[in-house]
Amino acid sequence: MTTTTSALARPASPLKRITSVAKLHFANPWTTLGLPWIILGVIFVGSLTIWWLIYSALSPEQRVGALQGTEFGGSSFFIFIYMMVVAIQAISITFPFALGYGVTRRDYYLGSALAFVALAVIYTTGLTVLGAIEKATNGWGMGGTMFAPIYFGESAPERIFVTFVLFLFFLFFGSAIAAVWVRWKATGVTVFFIIVGAFLVGLIVLVTFTDSWFAVGDTFVDLGVLGVAAWSLVLTAISGVAGFVLLRRATPRNAA
Amino acid sequence: MTSTIEVNNLSKRFGKVTAVDDVSFTVAENTICGLLGRNGAGKTTLMQLLTGQQFASEGTISLFGQTPVENAKVLQNTCFIKESQRYPEDFRPKDVFKTAPWFFANWDQDFADRLIADFRLPLDRRIKKLSRGQLSSIGVIVGLASRAPLTFFDEPYLGLDAVAREIFYDRLLEDYAHHPRTVILSTHLIDEVADLLEHVLVIDEGTLLINENAETLRARATNVVGMKTAVDTFVGTREVLHRDGVGGLSSVTVAGLSESERRDAKAAGLELSPVSLQQLIIQLTRTETKEFEASA
Repeated sequence: MTTTTSALARPASPLKRITSVAKLHFANPWTTLGLPWIILGVIFVGSLTIWWLIYSALSPEQRVGALQGTEFGGSSFFIFIYMMVVAIQAISITFPFALGYGVTRRDYYLGSALAFVALAVIYTTGLTVLGAIEKATNGWGMGGTMFAPIYFGESAPERIFVTFVLFLFFLFFGSAIAAVWVRWKATGVTVFFIIVGAFLVGLIVLVTFTDSWFAVGDTFVDLGVLGVAAWSLVLTAISGVAGFVLLRRATPRNAA
Repeated sequence: MTSTIEVNNLSKRFGKVTAVDDVSFTVAENTICGLLGRNGAGKTTLMQLLTGQQFASEGTISLFGQTPVENAKVLQNTCFIKESQRYPEDFRPKDVFKTAPWFFANWDQDFADRLIADFRLPLDRRIKKLSRGQLSSIGVIVGLASRAPLTFFDEPYLGLDAVAREIFYDRLLEDYAHHPRTVILSTHLIDEVADLLEHVLVIDEGTLLINENAETLRARATNVVGMKTAVDTFVGTREVLHRDGVGGLSSVTVAGLSESERRDAKAAGLELSPVSLQQLIIQLTRTETKEFEASA
């Protein structure tokens, strides 16, 4: 067989090919970095306003501990779910585009995974800084809690670990969904959620029939926030591998 | 001559539909090759197979001597611009041109800038606000400025006006002369690209009908025009690809003529004219397909 090398460009190193794909996700940072922080900012301002309304309506004695309930608030939980959406969007939008640029599916997936880990680092850093300010200012001066709720852990290192691991989970779970979407479109995603739903219902049935709800509850209490977060890494790894396997055989289509 | 593309007995089936049916051909290094055929003939599927975007059902593909499927060494030398190329929604054209050089080692920014000016492409507008033609020109610019050793253009100019298409052809030829590379151009506008093409592949219903040098292909047929009786006498039992007539006049497309046959025709007072590539392909892919294959 004849091989031509004269016209070929100098091959890029595997690392460069992967980082190029990762950079692609930040080329226009609006979807991955801009919008999520803006939405989080709007929620924060909304919360501050409500806290201030409550705070200013109370007498100084009543104010102590009035906003303690916000420790169990879930307003920053949105950002985790949104990271799943970001992962789905990022892959479904750039996959056909990158393949036209002569990127292999392997390099594409590894590059995207690298971008997702970078996103997890960036968002963890953001939440940690905001959480630290929140603690230092005694809940923005009013005892409110948004960025460091109780279930992210009690100390700063705990919170960093829990948020980082949660971000990874949602990003990679999102990338698995995106791979299903890219490969089988809406039908695939529907089937995927039916399977996930059936699995969860099956678990509930199993636990109920074996009368083990207390055991399950105890296990979670024993594991604690850190233990549960650490176990989520297993699901993250399964999602990551599943996304890779599914995307390896996916073909880009023009239809949206 | 070395070949950039070698395809052997390639087939692709989607369920019961055979999109590409037992196709074999080679494309020599540094040629501009036209991939022609009607809508749904299998052009896009064939190009997706060549770039490893689709997986073959049967047969082998070799680009630069290797399989393209998931092969970074091969694929980073290719650029595939699709008819309805989708771009990340939030991208502006300038984001596309910022990211393209990360993937194409031969990218020429000056050339890209010139093309952007030629096509009058607004750089700051969001992709989704661009017109069909502007969207197409992004693809054309990336395809040209990437200078990938193997570039695929799949109907690259949806919505481009005649002036813009002319710019595309001019720039392609100009740049190709300085930076030879292999270009596969799929299109409906056969006559517009006829002069560009050095090799022609015609595909119909998944089957490769024509795989020939463009010059040889043009010499395959000639129009013979004159009085009906004189034309009929000359044509005789010759293979007729197409017949047209008005009153006593007749125009017949016959398979290639030798020099002496040409002299005979002129002597008989008949007029000879070349058949345009488009006419030829329409005639060959319509009803005479079978006859042509038999003679080929």
